[in-house]
Amino acid sequence: MIRIEQLSKTFRVDGREVSALNDINLEIGKGEVFGIIGRSGAGKSTLLRSLNLLERPTAGRVLIDGEDITGFDRSRLYALRQRVGMIFQHFNLLNAKTVAGNIDWPLKSTGSLSAAQRAARVAELLALVGLAEHAHKYPAQLSGGQKQRVGIARALANRPQLLLCDEATSALDPETTQSILRLLLDINRQFDLTIVLITHEMQVIRTLCDRVAVIDGGRIVESGRVADVFLHPQHPVTRGMVAQSDPLTAAMLDPGHAFAKDKLRGTLVRLTYLGDITYQPILSHIAAATPARFTILQGEVSSIKDLPFGQLLLELEGSDDDIRKVFAELDRFEIHHEVLQ
Amino acid sequence: MIDLSMIEWGDIAFATWETLVMTGVSLLFTVLLGLPLGILLFVTASGQLLEQPGVYRVLSFVVNVLRSVPFLILLIVMIPVTVLLIGTSLGVEGAIPPLVVGTSPLFARLVENVLREVDRGVIEACQAMGVPTHRIIFGALLPEAMPGLIAATTVTAITLMSYAAMSGVIGGGGLGDLAIRFGYQRFQTEVMVITVALLVMLVQFIQHAGDRLVLYFTRK
Ligand SMILES: Nc1ncnc2c1ncn2[C@@H]1O[C@H](COP(=O)(O)OP(=O)(O)OP(=O)(O)O)[C@@H](O)[C@H]1O
Ligand SMILES: [Mg+2]
Repeated sequence: MIRIEQLSKTFRVDGREVSALNDINLEIGKGEVFGIIGRSGAGKSTLLRSLNLLERPTAGRVLIDGEDITGFDRSRLYALRQRVGMIFQHFNLLNAKTVAGNIDWPLKSTGSLSAAQRAARVAELLALVGLAEHAHKYPAQLSGGQKQRVGIARALANRPQLLLCDEATSALDPETTQSILRLLLDINRQFDLTIVLITHEMQVIRTLCDRVAVIDGGRIVESGRVADVFLHPQHPVTRGMVAQSDPLTAAMLDPGHAFAKDKLRGTLVRLTYLGDITYQPILSHIAAATPARFTILQGEVSSIKDLPFGQLLLELEGSDDDIRKVFAELDRFEIHHEVLQ
Repeated sequence: MIDLSMIEWGDIAFATWETLVMTGVSLLFTVLLGLPLGILLFVTASGQLLEQPGVYRVLSFVVNVLRSVPFLILLIVMIPVTVLLIGTSLGVEGAIPPLVVGTSPLFARLVENVLREVDRGVIEACQAMGVPTHRIIFGALLPEAMPGLIAATTVTAITLMSYAAMSGVIGGGGLGDLAIRFGYQRFQTEVMVITVALLVMLVQFIQHAGDRLVLYFTRK
């Protein structure tokens, strides 16, 4: 659906060149929810805005459905933007128009629908985002969450195939954030809509995304399935962000920091597993199969999007042979294990 | 001291009417001229919708030049142009061209500033939807700026009223003319006092009406 090839962007500020993006390569599939995460100033917004050419890349190509959009003339660009919705951190609603007026605006100013067809579409969208009874209010009379719902309805008005979200929940409280994320997920499934979102919150990625790319200093430093990146962060920036959002994983990634060294005698092993295995009694299997003893130091069973996962930090005590048997048993269940020290 | 029995109330009523006509008609033309000019200034500025630095510099220069000419000088300089345009430089009609030329640049600048106050993000959202630029200007930018535009119009209307009174010096009609002919040249202090009082009342009224309209259009 989207292919970004060797994308670079330099800004000229007071005669100096500031590089915002550097050789970005990405591929995003149809119907996928793709997250881009990074610290402030990493280049997230610039990358997202390159996908509808609000920002013109200095070099490289952006292909949407196989077509290089960087070469589009004005009329094709308008047509493209009508197929690509966008929502914003600060909602960017028209204050002078009502909720219904805001949703009608893209239909009225770009589409070819009759007034009656537009009214029907607006009603449909209001129902979709749960704002039917607020149709005649002005944005100033709405809460942040309601404003973002209007933003979403407006972005969907022209039935886009792609939705770009620029920090869509960063101005909202945690509860409202969850409800907006649920709405986005619903829309993604209901319309097979591809979503590209940027955020600096790991939690948003965990709830919503299938895959994630980590951007730092204008470069993609790590990318992959959310569960893989989340459970096995490689780059220091990713590790830092995981540690920030999730103290439990942080402690498991760096047990030397979290536990008193002199109390630990055995071998420290971190287990991670994804999917149905989460519901299996693996620890009892291991206990039955080997004479090694283990202590659970830390553990979590949860899910990333719909994927259940578990991670355990064990201290194993026993002979080398016993421990080898434990590892063999773990391999049999396809449980990822790494020895930490 | 003040003897009201000497006053020709009919003259004063007529002069008030003339002042209102001069202000109203000039305001109409000022808006017709200044609004497009202000929009042009805004959209051609660097970083804006139709960025054209060259055009912006020229327009901005012209506006600055016109604004730096004192109105009394402009009144005199404009006489031949006014005669050419409408046949006379006297009376109510004669005052209108210099009034329009004098206040349009001011109004254009006010409009430019008001438009700059519109949230960039809102304009950007429209661009992201693929709305053509002219639709963004007329369908989003101007409605968003409506309260500010009305406030700018109010300021301009009041400026016009005081300029209209000033035009009495070179033979324009209205309250200014009355004040000069009777109040100044014939030492009828009463007339002077009444004209000033009337002007104060008119200004109060315009400001009040403008404020009410701004409030009506404010959705924040
Ligand atoms: N219009 C611009 N002119 C000059 N420099 C810019 C411009 N836009 C962005 N930059 C620079 O490019 C870099 C990346 O900015 P960008 O807005 O993409 O970061 P971000 O990851 O979205 O940050 P944040 O989380 O704070 O929104 C920054 O160094 C920024 O200063
Ligand atoms: Mg940003």
